[in-house]
Amino acid sequence: MRLRVVGCSHHNAPIEIREPLAFDRQQARDAIDAWRTRYSDVEAVLLSTCNRVELYLAAESGEVPCKNAVAAFLADFHDLCPDETREHLVDLTDRDAIVHLFRVACSLDSMVVGEPQILAQVKQAYEAAVERDSVGTLLHEAFQGAIRVARRVDSETDIHRHHVSVPSVAVADFGKRIFQRFDDKKVLVIGAGEMADQTLRYLQHEGSREPAVLNRNPSKAEELARRWQGKALAWDRLDEALAAADVVVSTTGANEPIVTLARFHEIEKTRRSRPLFILDLAVPRDFEPAIGDRPDVYLYCIDNLEAACERNLLARWRHLPAAERIVQQEADDYFADARHRATGPMIESLRRGWQAPKQAELERLYKKLPQLDDQSRQEIDQAFDRLLNKLLHGPMESLRREARHGIPSALTDALVKLFHLKEKD
Amino acid sequence: MSGVTTICFAGSYAVALLLELSRLVFRSGARRVVMIGFAAAGLVAHSAFLYYRAVNRPGSPLSIQQEWYLLAAWLLVIVYLYLAACHPRQAFGVFLLPLVLALVGVATFAAAPEPFPRAAASRVWGAVHGTSILLATVVVLFGLVTGLMYLAQAQRLKKKRPPLRGLALPSLEWLSLANGHAITLSVVLVAVGLFSGSILSGLSHGGRMSANDPVVLGTLAMFFWLLAAAAVNRFYRPAQTGRKVAYLTLVSFVFLAVALGLALGLGTSHGGWNQWRQRPPAMEGERR
Repeated sequence: MRLRVVGCSHHNAPIEIREPLAFDRQQARDAIDAWRTRYSDVEAVLLSTCNRVELYLAAESGEVPCKNAVAAFLADFHDLCPDETREHLVDLTDRDAIVHLFRVACSLDSMVVGEPQILAQVKQAYEAAVERDSVGTLLHEAFQGAIRVARRVDSETDIHRHHVSVPSVAVADFGKRIFQRFDDKKVLVIGAGEMADQTLRYLQHEGSREPAVLNRNPSKAEELARRWQGKALAWDRLDEALAAADVVVSTTGANEPIVTLARFHEIEKTRRSRPLFILDLAVPRDFEPAIGDRPDVYLYCIDNLEAACERNLLARWRHLPAAERIVQQEADDYFADARHRATGPMIESLRRGWQAPKQAELERLYKKLPQLDDQSRQEIDQAFDRLLNKLLHGPMESLRREARHGIPSALTDALVKLFHLKEKD
Repeated sequence: MSGVTTICFAGSYAVALLLELSRLVFRSGARRVVMIGFAAAGLVAHSAFLYYRAVNRPGSPLSIQQEWYLLAAWLLVIVYLYLAACHPRQAFGVFLLPLVLALVGVATFAAAPEPFPRAAASRVWGAVHGTSILLATVVVLFGLVTGLMYLAQAQRLKKKRPPLRGLALPSLEWLSLANGHAITLSVVLVAVGLFSGSILSGLSHGGRMSANDPVVLGTLAMFFWLLAAAAVNRFYRPAQTGRKVAYLTLVSFVFLAVALGLALGLGTSHGGWNQWRQRPPAMEGERR
């Protein structure tokens, strides 16, 4: 068996190298087709994300093409220089390749360890390859194993549960502890910064609709409101909007707080003590910190959220050893299964070899006992089959046990000699 | 079935509580099943215990102070199992199971094991009275749990602390709604309990009401408190904030604890150890 992965990632290649090597969805399909035209017997899956470009290869018989051949293929496809491409590519084979794939699928190899998108990207790459008919038994087993490992890591560790970006921490770690649902909450965005845009993405994912956007520059407010199907409000309606809001995301570039405690006291009077979740993502801050001491106001500034991100990142790192153990266990199981599968033809040959004498003995017996009816013959047939199965059980179990620790070559040699099996089996 | 003791189900609930607390220490996929398994096994033993007592002792479980507490615990376990199944990530058990164990403890060590004195004519009103006060107790205890959870969650959020891994609490919005419903429902149940209790008292005392019974007075005080709390919560918007509603439910629990304490400690028509201890020897004989 030969498995190989050749590619580059953020670990060993800067963005300047990864960018020209990247494939969009259609290019990935074309590349798989081109690969199958060039190497029809070699299974291939192409994984291309913003952080990695990797070609997973496998061949049940014969050798998989070497790193140079893969580099030449990638360079050809993108019209690049093969030598320059080659020096940034990493080449892993067999166990190293499987462990790498499992680590990638679990996002242990990601730039942000534990980020959840990579599993979907791995699945997408696998499905695209299946669609192009470039996946055989080895890569099927490998990618299904990778998906299984990722699910195990997800269910047995907390590595994916800790959010590490400011908007996701704001919504998941704080917002969802205040509000049960967001579809009936009024979201107000003050300013139109990039962080507001990202936070709105998470809020919309939780069900929030039609955010109100306020900005000193009305055209910017309208642009952001249009993008999120919200409504732009005039800047002088800030107090009114704050009185109506349940969630506030503030990202202005103002040099001093736009909402002081005194101003908030006035707004508070019309709020009727409804809880208010304020994400003050601006530096300098848009809300006077004392507002956070008011009852039912939950005010978080960028420092609070970044501290939570750091805590979560550390928490993810704490789960790494457990996740790595799962990867190693699953890689062991993968290779034990593969080695055991490899002994399948030998078991089949053994079974076939014993079928002929069984048939001969049965025919001899039936000639001697012509008075046997069909039912008796069937019973005798079944008894012989049971005997064969029992005789085969011992060797099969021994092969399975040996396959756990390595290729059971001593045992297979002994079986070949003992039962006169053909060498090719 | 007669071999089932309070130790059997209290032990099962204690193990379920320990498993709930272990959420803080380690993560396990199997824990939820084992935890629910222990609580369910406890509930089966608990049910068997109550059934055996109901068929082998005079009076319904509602008419015996000890079993009344065990029934309240039994209902809270059902609430716990429902919440554990529907909200597996949230640690309701950490707050509910100690209350269950406390109720079983009160039933075992403090409550009178004899039926309240009653006339045959008051059987129906006795059942209505016992059931409504029992359900009101369970609802107020549930309100206490959600109130405590609210305050814990709100304090963590105010201090910008991250969610406790393994010991997740529901959102403030959910807890606030649950608190509001608990107050409203408990007003209705206590009102029914008081009304049926007054009829029961009239039947038992030949038309005279036992308004000077400290337990009745305690329950009346709780009723007026709950009524005021529900009215304030319903009609006065500034009081509708979750934190204030949480405080209302906590004070409701104090009223409940006082009423139950009076019922346990004093010799009144609501039972109590004093009354049981002071019974003449002839009644002991009757029991046998």
